[in-house]
Amino acid sequence: MSIKLKALKKSPWVFHVAAASCNNCDIEILAALTPRFDVERFGILLVGSPRHADALLVTGVINRKTLPRVLEVYNQTPKPCLVIAVGTCACDCHMFKDSYNVVGPYDKHIPVDVYIPGCPPKPEAIIAGVVKALSKL
Amino acid sequence: MSELLTEIKNRFPEIEVYEHNKRRLYLKISKEKIREIAYFLHKEKGLRLSIMTGVDTRDGIEILYHFSEDKTGTYYTVKIITDRDNPEVDTISDITKASEWIEREIWELLGVNFIGHKNLKPLLTSEDWPRDKHPLRRDYEGI
Amino acid sequence: MNVLTLLFNFLIFPGFLFLTVIGMFLTFLDRKITARIQWRVGPPWYQPYADFLKLLLKEVIIPVNSSKLTFLFAPILSFLSALISGTMIYYFLLYPQKSFLGDIIVILYFLTMVPVGFILGASSSRNPLSACGASREMTLLISYELPFIFALLIPIIKAGGKIKMGEIILAQTNLPFLYSLSGIISALTLLFIFQAKLGYVPFDIAEAEQEIMAGTILEYSGVCLALFKLARAILLLSLPALLISLLWPARNIFTFIIKFLIIFLLIVLMKNTNPRLRIDQALKFFWFILGPFSILGIILVLSGL
Repeated sequence: MSIKLKALKKSPWVFHVAAASCNNCDIEILAALTPRFDVERFGILLVGSPRHADALLVTGVINRKTLPRVLEVYNQTPKPCLVIAVGTCACDCHMFKDSYNVVGPYDKHIPVDVYIPGCPPKPEAIIAGVVKALSKL
Repeated sequence: MSELLTEIKNRFPEIEVYEHNKRRLYLKISKEKIREIAYFLHKEKGLRLSIMTGVDTRDGIEILYHFSEDKTGTYYTVKIITDRDNPEVDTISDITKASEWIEREIWELLGVNFIGHKNLKPLLTSEDWPRDKHPLRRDYEGI
Repeated sequence: MNVLTLLFNFLIFPGFLFLTVIGMFLTFLDRKITARIQWRVGPPWYQPYADFLKLLLKEVIIPVNSSKLTFLFAPILSFLSALISGTMIYYFLLYPQKSFLGDIIVILYFLTMVPVGFILGASSSRNPLSACGASREMTLLISYELPFIFALLIPIIKAGGKIKMGEIILAQTNLPFLYSLSGIISALTLLFIFQAKLGYVPFDIAEAEQEIMAGTILEYSGVCLALFKLARAILLLSLPALLISLLWPARNIFTFIIKFLIIFLLIVLMKNTNPRLRIDQALKFFWFILGPFSILGIILVLSGL
């Protein structure tokens, strides 16, 4: 298991899952993948399919409606994979925790490896979180 | 007092006007006249239906129709009240196409029945949500 | 003795090991040049090898209702076809006297089997987005094969009508075919067709990431995905060598590397400065603009230019 994770350290391919977010964290993730911040030097590539992905960037508070879809995307990702929760809503529901439609933050349903708080976190914070997680693998 | 407001007052004399400021006018009217005034404002005068709001107040369930006059930037908001035990309004989805989904949302979350709406199906909540529980009402306790 | 040299040629040089290692290095070079054009740093030199190693160690997921044998067979088909065509192109560059009659047709056949492997793989995974990618790839294949054949006819006619790669290379000892009007027409046509074969912008319609979520290779993961990407990398190494051996042969290895890098740079620059075309625009471009252009080249060749 550990050599698989070591090989993942040098080229984590990223897929973006947004479940009922306000889209602010999604805009910041999109900004982090532009040439200004240059994440390709760490080997990070944005892929178009969860079957190619090694790391899932998840945002948003999970809804009752999006919960089965998020679980299906997580099951479709080949293991080993990292799950990175971006934004305070993904870490612990933030201000929506008493709402009628919220089923809880991500770590109640899928195992989360990295938490990046912020509303929304700056692209520098997102990159710092991902690199710190990779260096601890 | 703009000329559109005088026209509305001449056409519907029982209307009550509350002027919040120069660009926000609230017109309170009874719920039987909603189709007439929506036809008048949208089709004859060319105003655009921007959004609709549903609120659960002490007097009943209130629905606001925000019509926007794009030339001057003024909002003419039509306010109607229905009682909470059996809320029913005529639909305006054949006058404006914009109100189709908004009326579906108000039906789903507040429980207001729109008479004559062709497609009153759930829009936002999940597939296994119980259909008699309306989350935005004041007495909603949780499922 | 003969079998040993044959095995060496197929497995080490210019066969499997040479093609895969240098092909992956060329994908690094492509990504580095792209990064430099966009004013950023880009990946380190070992990046494609790390990608390949990581893909080998991930689990392979086979969709439940797909046809499993075709699903697993398609990447092997693509990879082996790319390998055979690449080995043949480099073998005839090194030993022009060993070519046989009709070898250009064999190379053309194996170069066409590479996208056919992608189409087979996309159709056998039970996914509507893959089916959309497969139909786009099929349309693209039909559209660029026509000017490809016309552009290949030009050096064949110039060499006196012999369909032998060795003869074409030996007929250019005095003057390469590129230094003539029809040679330039053939080279331009071939450059556009290489963009479509390699799946680069402006013709990466079948694998459009933002539109159909990686298209043809959507359901692949692990080893199968690594084989598909390796097939594309081998094509990147062997297609400019095809253009060099047909139109602009080099006398020794240094001029070969310089000419190779010039063609490679043109391909990467075309990739970085263009938007993606729609499938009907690509069809019209290949049939109605490049087709008559290459027919003009054939007419010029037949009249002696």
